[in-house]
Amino acid sequence: MISVKSVSKNFGDIKVLKNVSCDIKKGERVVIIGPSGSGKSTLLRCMNLLEKPTGGEVWMADKMITSADPYLHPDMIAVSATASKLISSGMESGAAVDKIICERLLKKNEGAAFNSALKAYNAEHAIPLNIARQRMGMVFQHFNLFNNLTIMDNLTLAPVELKLKTKEEATEKAMELLGRIGLTDKANEYPSRLSGGQKQRIAIIRALAMEPEVMLFDEPTSALDPELVGEVLSVMRSLADEGMTMVVVTHEMNFARNVANRVLFMADGIIAEEGAPDQIFNDPVNPRTRQFLHSVLNKD
Amino acid sequence: MFLKNLVEIFTSPKYLDIFFNGLKLTLIISVGAAVLGLFLGVIVALIKLTPKENKAMAFPRLICDIYITIVRGTPMALQLFIMAFVILTIRGFPQAITAIIAFGINSGAYVAENIRAGILSVDIGQTEAGLSLGLSQKTTMMRIVIPQAIKNVIPAIGNELIALIKETSIVTMIGMQDLTAAAKNVGAGNNLASYFAPMVVAAIFYLAIVYALTFAIKIIERRLRASDKR
Repeated sequence: MISVKSVSKNFGDIKVLKNVSCDIKKGERVVIIGPSGSGKSTLLRCMNLLEKPTGGEVWMADKMITSADPYLHPDMIAVSATASKLISSGMESGAAVDKIICERLLKKNEGAAFNSALKAYNAEHAIPLNIARQRMGMVFQHFNLFNNLTIMDNLTLAPVELKLKTKEEATEKAMELLGRIGLTDKANEYPSRLSGGQKQRIAIIRALAMEPEVMLFDEPTSALDPELVGEVLSVMRSLADEGMTMVVVTHEMNFARNVANRVLFMADGIIAEEGAPDQIFNDPVNPRTRQFLHSVLNKD
Repeated sequence: MFLKNLVEIFTSPKYLDIFFNGLKLTLIISVGAAVLGLFLGVIVALIKLTPKENKAMAFPRLICDIYITIVRGTPMALQLFIMAFVILTIRGFPQAITAIIAFGINSGAYVAENIRAGILSVDIGQTEAGLSLGLSQKTTMMRIVIPQAIKNVIPAIGNELIALIKETSIVTMIGMQDLTAAAKNVGAGNNLASYFAPMVVAAIFYLAIVYALTFAIKIIERRLRASDKR
């Protein structure tokens, strides 16, 4: 469903993601855990390009949503000007390509053959970012409901604006979703009148109103009062039961343990360990994972 | 004496005429300059907000920066003189238009900065939420960010308009007969030969305009704040 291929992300000199790759399969529920600053949120935000990766590619359902990263394509590098220079200086073609990839030697302009290969690849595989985002729902730590719109307008704005539904269809769908979380009476309220838990549940169904194929959750419960966390997690759990593909960045270890099929542990910009929740929580291999779990599970 | 003069101002058609012509000119310049200033301000703010990666807009951004720096860094009176005596020296060119252009250009720089600050004050999360739903940058801006920015910007724009109205009084320096000049004229030796009453009348006119504007802004603000009620 989503493929992250060798993605790196730098903020200035700080390397937040270092060559991270992962595959999210259809129907999978992947939970990303890790200490703060480990790059969890950045990885999630790279999946729908709210954060633009410095290098690497992101694919969704066999379509590329970034532009091509030539370093992932040896055949492109083989026709680059730098490669032909190395080859003409007596290097073997395979070795030249390896050297360019290892040492990141590509320059701004690599000649017509390279440019047309890159262009052809992009034309064949890339889809517009907006289209990809319509198929990926995202839920934020701070809810980010549109403050200037009523709940109903929050839910119907995108489907109507993007001409996926008529106003009537969108309203009907919105009422159905509101009914599902028991907030039909809030349809005409503004977000400022809702509690944090209500806001986050609305934010979840706002994403669902687009009928996405995958949902991304960026610490959905971190900004909530403790007694409101449960209502949000239960909506997420019911989504999981319906077979929604989900990627969740969270500090809720119980949720990870009970709902995930796969847990990724991130530390220092890499996926340090991944596996089934049972294995990660009961039998972590990486000492870094053990240390992290020890400190979060034995808070008191 | 003061009261007698006051009565005379409001009963003599000659003085009333001078005052109303002055008031009319002040209003024409203010409204014209406000419209031009808002128009310029919106455009300059939008240009300045284009992302740094957008190289095509680098030059327009530079122009806007220079414009704002010059306008904010030099006195309004000087800008008016330059407009009247250096740039628009065409014989018979209507002075009111000269003043509107000078004040409009001046106001535009301040309005631009207000609008820019207003748009930047909207939480980035609002934009991200819009984009994450697949809305375009433009739709997100028009439907979500700008409506919220307007609410934040209205008080600052109101202040700017109030300052603009009062500042138009310096057109007397290029010999235009606005409300301030009218007061001076009525108080001169060949008319009332006393400045007290006419100055008070002019002050009341200015106050009335500013008060009406303040009231209008308050109503607009209240309407826009409907979504903030808790």
